[in-house]
Amino acid sequence: MRLEKCWFCSSTVYPGHGIQFVRNDAKIFRFCRSKCHKNFKMKRNPRKVKWTKAYRRLHGKDMTQDSTFEFERKRNRPERYDRNLTENTLAAIKKIDKVRVDRESRHHAKRMKPKKAQLQREAARELEQSISMVKAPGALQRDPSLTLPIKVKVSKPEKVDNRMEE
Amino acid sequence: MVQYNFKKITVVPTGKEFIDIILSRTQRRTPTQVHKGYAISRLRQFYMRKVKFTQQNFHEKLSTIIDDFPRLNDIHPFYGDLLHVLYNKDHYKLALGQINTARNLISKIAKDYVRLLKYGDSLYRCKSLKVAALGRMCTVIKKVTPSLAYLEQIRQHMARLPSIDPNSRTVLICGYPNVGKSSFMNKITRADVDVQPYAFTTKSLFVGHTDYKYLRYQVIDTPGILDRPFEDRNIIEMCSITALAHLRAAVLFFLDISGSCGYSIAQQAALFDSIKSLFMNKPLIIVCNKTDLQALEGLSEDDMKLVMEMKSEAMKTLVGQGGEATDGSNVLLTMSTLTEEGVIAVKNAACERLLDQRVEQKMKSKKLNDCLNRFHVAMPKPRDQKERPACIPQAVLEAKAKQAEVDADKEKRKLERDLENENGGAGVYSASLKKRYILAHDEWKEDIIPEILDGHNVADFLDPDILMRLEELEREEGVLQGLEEDEDFEMDGAELTPEEQAALTEIRKKKSLLIQQHRIKKSTAESRPTVPRKFDKDKKFTSERMGRQLSSLGIDPSMAIDRARSKSRGRKRDRSSDGVESMDVDGDKQNKKMRLKSRSMSRSRSMSRPPGEVVPGEGFKDSAQKKKAIKIAKSSSKNRNKEARRGEADRVIPTLKPKHLFSGKRSTGKTDRR
Repeated sequence: MRLEKCWFCSSTVYPGHGIQFVRNDAKIFRFCRSKCHKNFKMKRNPRKVKWTKAYRRLHGKDMTQDSTFEFERKRNRPERYDRNLTENTLAAIKKIDKVRVDRESRHHAKRMKPKKAQLQREAARELEQSISMVKAPGALQRDPSLTLPIKVKVSKPEKVDNRMEE
Repeated sequence: MVQYNFKKITVVPTGKEFIDIILSRTQRRTPTQVHKGYAISRLRQFYMRKVKFTQQNFHEKLSTIIDDFPRLNDIHPFYGDLLHVLYNKDHYKLALGQINTARNLISKIAKDYVRLLKYGDSLYRCKSLKVAALGRMCTVIKKVTPSLAYLEQIRQHMARLPSIDPNSRTVLICGYPNVGKSSFMNKITRADVDVQPYAFTTKSLFVGHTDYKYLRYQVIDTPGILDRPFEDRNIIEMCSITALAHLRAAVLFFLDISGSCGYSIAQQAALFDSIKSLFMNKPLIIVCNKTDLQALEGLSEDDMKLVMEMKSEAMKTLVGQGGEATDGSNVLLTMSTLTEEGVIAVKNAACERLLDQRVEQKMKSKKLNDCLNRFHVAMPKPRDQKERPACIPQAVLEAKAKQAEVDADKEKRKLERDLENENGGAGVYSASLKKRYILAHDEWKEDIIPEILDGHNVADFLDPDILMRLEELEREEGVLQGLEEDEDFEMDGAELTPEEQAALTEIRKKKSLLIQQHRIKKSTAESRPTVPRKFDKDKKFTSERMGRQLSSLGIDPSMAIDRARSKSRGRKRDRSSDGVESMDVDGDKQNKKMRLKSRSMSRSRSMSRPPGEVVPGEGFKDSAQKKKAIKIAKSSSKNRNKEARRGEADRVIPTLKPKHLFSGKRSTGKTDRR
């Protein structure tokens, strides 16, 4: 039993899911769901379809080259079972995964970093310009900081007995 | 058996008919429609099918013709010769050969054209190929038309041949023309053969059946034979000669002793001499007919001598059969078909003679059955008491012993099957397939090998130096993380404080609210009249609200509220507002209503009017008239409002020709009115 990769979106195809298409030149295309299958039939290039891993890698949204990817390689020769080796491998898989996930998040953060500064600048500007929507000029004069004003309690009106008829 | 097939030969159609039949069948039985838009393989297939179908049909029909017509070598020689005499063996064979060739040619044509069709690249080309193929096949048939016609003729004639069984009891009647053979035939059988005064009335063989001793006999009437050399004989005579030659029958040679047939006894005797070779091994009876005209005893000397000669010849055949005693009466008989005397005697004699001969022959062939009883194996008698066992060489004995050992081993070893049976049988016990694994440690044999972990294939990660590489990786990771931390300390300068953040979120909230309201207003401006602000339908413009809003902006609203109140029309009347804060929302609603009412009412002096009362004025005589006027006004505007018209002058039709009224079918009913 093997987990395969979807040809279109590169997600894992678990056993019992998806469709395999074998072309006349004996190339096998595996799809994880009908969405990918239908896109393939429409002859769409996964490198141009935004939500696929191929696009993301090509356009630098996701990490492309890393040493963690070297660990996972399809070997065509079956290995004789070795308990120790298997135990080590299982533990190693977990650690490698963690490392990979960390690296990917770092990559993402690095990608998003320049945006953060810009966002902060924009936020500051907006605050400065639109503070009058939440703070009256009078309040602003009294308290020039760009924060919400202190709410003033309304005094109770005097009860005027206005009964004209008794 | 064989004779019946002549009637069952299929009709041979003429060339033209044949072509018509096959082509029309092709047209009926194969698909007829094809368009040039179809895939090329489909077009090819279509035309190939037609060609093949035609060829198959031709083949079939020609094969049946060839098979139905009898092969002259395979049938009884009597029929073979008869057919040869009638139709000429060579012509017959030639015709059938031509049919055969035609069949082969058609097959070849079809093969060639099918091969060509495989590479046809357009509808037109395929069609032309098919037309060419069929055309050639039809030409072949056309060329063979004369053979077909000839075979048809033969078939028709063959069907009318008398059904003679060459193996059963037959009595053959022969002699000169006009001697009385056919009349005799008519007398003893139910056959109705033509009897006429002229010679060659009977032109072909006729069969009748008669009974004798509970057995059925065929009686064959032949056309008369003239005394001519063999080569000069015509077809009719040849028929009778053939019959004489091939059929194992009793022969009745008819003599006309009165000479009224037109031929003398001498001529008849001469004929007898010339054909006596054909009477070999056949019981022969000389029959003197027409005794009513001339008795046998009254013959002249010469004639008598001739007759006696014939008799002696006939006796020879008798002697040849079974060595019977000289019974002259059975060989020479007299009769008269006209007076019917001696007819039955002749028949009986002939049948008797034939029967005897047949029985003898059958007896001679019974040797086979007797032989079978006499088989036995001879055992040699023992001559002394010495034992003489079989002699087996030493090497063979040793080999046998070794083989026995190996077999014993095999039996001792426990099979998987035995194990299975011990542990409960096929359904209960499942063999451990891992029993014979070769692993480094035996206790690993029963391990379940993991294949998948966390969305990865374990097999892809298996590596003997995985630990080493993992260590390297972790080191790398540690280094990278260090670098990361250094970088992170940089740019936290321009961050907003949480209060500022709160203010920003408020601002954004307000902006989105404004946008939403604008969107609502924008969409409904056309379809709904906007209530002017002074009527305050949603009751939004209250001083409490204003106070709240101002205070949220950070200003003390008390002054503004006071000002608004002083400018307002009336103060509210506290009915149940003890300790109720003006900020209380629920109380507000109740008070608002009252306040509105009180505002309108505070204008006029009296404040206690029932709700539906109409005050007279404005040009009306009294309240009743005013009420009526109000009612009329309302009723007129009611219909307008239902039509969603803004007023009298509003004659806008939003869509002049709505599509759903001017197009489309109706699910039920007719659409002749729109």
